[in-house]
Amino acid sequence: MATTTTETARPTLFLRNATGLVKAWSTFDAFLYAFWSVNLVTLGLYGMSFVYTIPDGQLLGAVLLTGVLVTFLVITYAQLVSAMPRAGGDYAWQSRILGGGVGFVLAITGWWFTLWLWTPIYANILIVQFFAPLAYTLGWTGVATFFSSQWGVFVSCLIVLAFVSWVITLGMEGYAKIQRFCFWLGMGGLVVMLGLLLFSTHQAFVDAFNREAASLFGASGNAYQATIAAAAKGGTSGVGFGTFGITSTFLLLPFLAFYLLWPVWGATLYGEVRGAKEYRKVFNAMFWGLWVTVVLVAVIILLIVKTIGWDFYYAANASYWNSIFVAGSPAPPVGIWPYPVMLAGWLVGNHLFQALLIVVMGLWFFGWAGTLFLSSTRVIFAAAFDRVLPEFAANISSKRRVPYGALLFMIVPAILISLAWSFAPSIQTWFLWATGVIAITFLGTSIAAAILPWRRKDIFENSPISRLRIAGIPVITVTGVVSAIFLLFMLAEWSFNVIYGTQLLDVTGTKIHVSNPSTVIYFAGTYLLAIAIYVVARVVRKRQGIDLARIHREIPVE
Amino acid sequence: MRVFYATDLHGSEVCWRKFLNAAKFYDADVLICGGDMTGKAMIPIVEDGDSYELTLSGVSQRVGRDEVAEVESQVQRKGYYPVRMTSAQVAELEKDPQKVQTLFTEQMCKTVERWMQLAADKMKDSKVRIFVAPGNDDEMEIDEVIANAPRVELAEGKMIDIGGYEMISSGWANPTPWHTYREAPEEELAKRMEPMLREIKDMSRAIFNFHPPPFGTALDEAPALDENLKPLHGGRALRHVGSKAVREAIDKYQPMLSLHGHIHEGKGITRLGKTLAINPGSAYEEGMLLASIIELEPKKGIKNYQLVNG
Repeated sequence: MATTTTETARPTLFLRNATGLVKAWSTFDAFLYAFWSVNLVTLGLYGMSFVYTIPDGQLLGAVLLTGVLVTFLVITYAQLVSAMPRAGGDYAWQSRILGGGVGFVLAITGWWFTLWLWTPIYANILIVQFFAPLAYTLGWTGVATFFSSQWGVFVSCLIVLAFVSWVITLGMEGYAKIQRFCFWLGMGGLVVMLGLLLFSTHQAFVDAFNREAASLFGASGNAYQATIAAAAKGGTSGVGFGTFGITSTFLLLPFLAFYLLWPVWGATLYGEVRGAKEYRKVFNAMFWGLWVTVVLVAVIILLIVKTIGWDFYYAANASYWNSIFVAGSPAPPVGIWPYPVMLAGWLVGNHLFQALLIVVMGLWFFGWAGTLFLSSTRVIFAAAFDRVLPEFAANISSKRRVPYGALLFMIVPAILISLAWSFAPSIQTWFLWATGVIAITFLGTSIAAAILPWRRKDIFENSPISRLRIAGIPVITVTGVVSAIFLLFMLAEWSFNVIYGTQLLDVTGTKIHVSNPSTVIYFAGTYLLAIAIYVVARVVRKRQGIDLARIHREIPVE
Repeated sequence: MRVFYATDLHGSEVCWRKFLNAAKFYDADVLICGGDMTGKAMIPIVEDGDSYELTLSGVSQRVGRDEVAEVESQVQRKGYYPVRMTSAQVAELEKDPQKVQTLFTEQMCKTVERWMQLAADKMKDSKVRIFVAPGNDDEMEIDEVIANAPRVELAEGKMIDIGGYEMISSGWANPTPWHTYREAPEEELAKRMEPMLREIKDMSRAIFNFHPPPFGTALDEAPALDENLKPLHGGRALRHVGSKAVREAIDKYQPMLSLHGHIHEGKGITRLGKTLAINPGSAYEEGMLLASIIELEPKKGIKNYQLVNG
């Protein structure tokens, strides 16, 4: 028997012994999942290596601006979790608010089909942040060369898939332990990296860079200046940290979405979380996951400016990516992705220490990689329980608790996509839309959230968020609309702006032509496939006497 | 024959009304409520002159006499029991857990009695059969209230023939950290099931209506707790908490259908050999009735099934 009291110490509630009455869960543990999803090292450093394409954008300002705008998305998702804590997240909310067909198509394209594309992206990050720098540092150039080959890329994809599958078989409890372990050691590594950048001078970095460029890559002369010169030949030069173009700064947002859009990644799992209706806790977990990352990224940027040099940082990224994507571009003296962790490690002239730092910072990858398919499995389960997908999709082995149905639906296509990524580089532009398609899913959820108070009045009014209003308007509507505008802005930029490599349509005057036919065909194909699966499911289930439309119909109360 | 199964309503007035209305809404022939009908909390509505004070979902409010009935209705929607009392009575209850327990029992029985009357009123011209088997959170006193109901049949501990299908029911569960009212060790649960199992003539047409889900399935995963009942790893770490006795009974006898509840987060469907096992989950606090519809036919047994969010 328990009681809850007010400030006047009078009980406001009497509880009896009943199943499920638990104490509050730790926000820190939920924060960890959000923090890992917005991974400042793996996704953040990788994503920001492309911002050299908009040299007059102010990166720090853009990071802060993205943080503010994504906060609206965080509020929206936290409120949805609080009002409707459902496994499957986006799928469950959109199905119940916008309709089963819309929910299925938007969620399944984002959380199922598009996650196949993320496998090679994870694999590429694993190569450029772990295998390649580690191999070069230890002098294993053969290993480094292998991982830059097509087979090496494919092997890295298989390693990612094997690791992610293993994590899923461990379940959330096992994964949470891995995340904790990786968090503390990874943070230790980050502190060392930041300390090296903080306490070293710019000249010390230039000397260290030139020393290791010669020692590890056989570069001669002033490699630091040669890197800047290589970038200048490709059109990137003289980038100053103080440069501030408002439009350009906004144009950086779609790049930053590559990592800062994901504090809500774990929302698909909240159906399993007891006490998820506590809005403030869910909000805090996602909010701090986002903003601790934003602050740490700001610190990293400022330390890069101070020690590495902003012009060099842009030049190193530009010369590396240009050498891959722009025909005829000169190769940089250091023919490896300029991983800031590796560069900071070079400030200590000891290869063993440098290797150790790369290994420890590699934990940012291994603590995070499990997020690849965990959310997908929950969305697939939810669709299978709704009988839209076959029963097989929700099957779990009784001995090891492996969701083999959902995993097969993820892994088999992911292997095929990985093969395509590895051996058909011409289709790599598809992968640039990996963020955009999930943004479309989030857009659907933002719209669903905005209309929740009217569309599912019963659920809204019965939820803890019904009292959160601004000038009488539900907060979820306000934040849902702001999030939708933010997402629409980025989707428009990805679709029409050539900078991101994602341009679908080129609009010149009155002329419109498809810029990237294979990408358009691939993504149109995935949406058509999702629509086809839903239509077939409706027809097949109807023949079996099951009306899929009635899943979400509300039974009258009176 | 169409069976509508919902569970873990936990005192939600909205969910009980939806449960009864589901017969017409889904054209069901049989309604089964799988247990845990009663609420977990009592909200004191404290009289203060011409107004009343209460706190609901963390928000304190003061309402006039003309609004108090509406507020009580809101409290009932969430599955709590609203009780009007003076501040002196609240203080008295705070000091005496036994009095709180007595008041809980009184409120539960009163509410269940009202629900039974509601069923009688709503279903008086209907041929739909309605079954209730109280769950581990339901005190024993409500059995008598249900047994005396004109339109609802108490299913606990019985083998009941429903249109040629044999259903056995029990709301007893394996031990929980909350020491609830119908808990027993696994061996005792098995013994409770034995007499009912012996009565079943054809397992291929049998329905197990056991409140706890079978151990080691997707239906019995609940948040892992530490010794202070605090969820581990942000509530995301899950552990199997279902009944081994129920699992053994299903594995051994392979009934056609097995219906479960108890673990609200364990919404799902699984096959254990020839048995289709279902836990529709529960979202009673939102006033949403999570349920399953199972279509049975003489030749096929289970023709189809569906989870719905009514």
